[in-house]
Amino acid sequence: MSLSVKHLLGIKELQQQDIETIFKTADNFKQVLQRPIKKVPALRDTTIANIFFENSTRTRTSFELAEKRLGADVVNFSASASSVSKGETLIDTVNNILAMKVDMVVMRHAASGAPWFLAQHIDASIINAGDGVNEHPTQGLLDAFSMREKFGDLSGKTVAIVGDIMHSRVAMSNIYCLQKLGAKVIVSGPPTLIPKHIESMGVSVEYSVKKALQQCDIANILRIQLERQQKPLFSSLREYALFYGVNKQMLDSLNKEILILHPGPINRGVEIDSDVADGKHSVILDQVENGVAIRMAVVYLLSGNREMPE
Amino acid sequence: MAILIRGAKVIDESSAYHLQTVDIFIENGIVQSIGHSLNVKADTIVEHPGMCISMGWTDVFADYREPGFEHKESIATGLASAAAGGFTSVMIAPNTHPTISSKSVVQYIRKQAEANAVSLCPIGSVSHNIEGKNLAEMLDMHANGAIAFSDGWKPIQNVSLMLKALEYVKSFEGTLIQIPMDANLSLGGLMHEGAESTQLGMPGIPAIAETLQVHRDIELLRYTNSRLHITGIAAAESVELIRRAKADGLKITCSVTPYHLSLNDEVLRSYDSVYKVMPPIRSEKDRQALIEGLKDGTIDCIASHHRPQEWDAKAKEFEYASDGMNVQELSFAIAHNATNETLTIEHIIKSLANNANTIFGLNKDAVQEGACADFTLFTVMESTQLNEMKSRVRNNPFLGKSLLGKVLGIVKCDTLVMNN
Repeated sequence: MSLSVKHLLGIKELQQQDIETIFKTADNFKQVLQRPIKKVPALRDTTIANIFFENSTRTRTSFELAEKRLGADVVNFSASASSVSKGETLIDTVNNILAMKVDMVVMRHAASGAPWFLAQHIDASIINAGDGVNEHPTQGLLDAFSMREKFGDLSGKTVAIVGDIMHSRVAMSNIYCLQKLGAKVIVSGPPTLIPKHIESMGVSVEYSVKKALQQCDIANILRIQLERQQKPLFSSLREYALFYGVNKQMLDSLNKEILILHPGPINRGVEIDSDVADGKHSVILDQVENGVAIRMAVVYLLSGNREMPE
Repeated sequence: MAILIRGAKVIDESSAYHLQTVDIFIENGIVQSIGHSLNVKADTIVEHPGMCISMGWTDVFADYREPGFEHKESIATGLASAAAGGFTSVMIAPNTHPTISSKSVVQYIRKQAEANAVSLCPIGSVSHNIEGKNLAEMLDMHANGAIAFSDGWKPIQNVSLMLKALEYVKSFEGTLIQIPMDANLSLGGLMHEGAESTQLGMPGIPAIAETLQVHRDIELLRYTNSRLHITGIAAAESVELIRRAKADGLKITCSVTPYHLSLNDEVLRSYDSVYKVMPPIRSEKDRQALIEGLKDGTIDCIASHHRPQEWDAKAKEFEYASDGMNVQELSFAIAHNATNETLTIEHIIKSLANNANTIFGLNKDAVQEGACADFTLFTVMESTQLNEMKSRVRNNPFLGKSLLGKVLGIVKCDTLVMNN
């Protein structure tokens, strides 16, 4: 089994078959993660650098666990503790790491397109762990994987993505992934947080969160990314929570049950209330668990043609 | 020095020889005679199959970075690039350090080009040090040879300053040059806002960030009855606004870059910073409107917006890379390739030569007897393929590509500068 791409830069570039391959591989690794010894030696000859130019706890931890459970050697590199603060360029930074015989790079970067730029200049496989407001492909994959666990085939299902669409690479990767799997996507949130031309991607826009929830089978509630906003886009967190936050009362008023996802970290009481985040329809912790299996699958598949470990 | 240009087709609407293929004899910098099979003694004879001759071209907006940033482009390398691109005059933006905000910098820049075949015409800044606060000494700079005034890549945002500047230059019939961009609406944007930017996850610069500024400046022009040249228009709506302002009789002119005529925002799919320019490369619909604007005369000139950047400034993440494209040497070929199915060669040449001459009062002569030699030689029968540039740097996506149309050289007074 292999993918049609050398790097995982974005879901935009994957074929539907690639996504299915990643899911099938992740199914196997998820079984591995249930065992007493949660480790396979598939990548024991591989060294992977996790290069994070933006702060991250959960994504980096998830990648690190995935890599270690495949038996890879792992080196973590973060911008604050690095020569980036001394003015070194991205190409120099990465080439210096690669010169130490590193086989694969997992990179998070604040600039959209940075992994594409890097792919032009280095030979190693690159996994995008989030670039600017563009894509976060492993998150898009693990979200769809978590939905698939509950629903089986996603074809014909409707997914609402709620919140700050404009600053969300999670939204972008979700849209690309879900559409490739045949799902219909609605985006919902304040008009100032929805890109003007988003409908060109084939999604529909619904400014009322409640109306969006009424139309969907699954809701992916996004984090409000205050740190990404350069311009004032809404008045206050209080007003946002009042009019766009997802709460239990809203869910109870729907005449159906919907699956709730959130990519984390959660702003409890802002985009989602605790009784929804921790409620019976929430798969938020499943997402975290699936994240490791998905990342094991992606790292494994990009490491070259190897036999699937037993 | 006597130069005989043999068998050149004249492309110059202001000449009696327009569209005729003739011999042109130049002695002591003056055209002595024009005719067929001239029998004269010349030191140099220029002959080339399919050769055309026109009034010398003017680049109305380019960056040379001396003083201050010679590692990007010095005056010497800039002028060599201009000559290779067929330009006999270049108007350079005040994007230097110190900025062109005083008589002494105007004089310094003019002096550097004194002995060169290409004339250098500094554009003075509108505000002092391009700070956007107080007016620079435009009268004094004008008296010392500044050809026009602009805050260059930091277009004037303050509406009151813009109004005062338009009034101030009326005393000497000066022209202000603005790049149309509202700094607030374009804040954080990296490319044209549209379907492409959305799908690429890149913050967009909406067309309205450009057109609002064009609209504002047109209204200020209407109020002041001054003279304004908008350079680098990229949006369809800007063309329409200027079309209407011209119909209203306002003294407004504008220019477009070769790359806006040639490219649309699909090229950004590569995230390649070579396409990072300001104003941004917009949609195919906008590109078509620019060509239409050039065709109906709404757009007067082709300005290179030559903006050289060293390798390190471009080999970065798109967001962190410097903007601009190194265009001057390929201006004609890029523009000609983009338009050769819709525009005649006469039209392109008029946009490169005659129109700028009139708008900025350069006093270049038509191709006729008695003229001071200031001509460009070119052909549309051959292609250009550049792998190296005369410019100091190489930030141009057309390098290595074959483009129809070739600059053969320039003639200025006694000097002939020919491309190999």
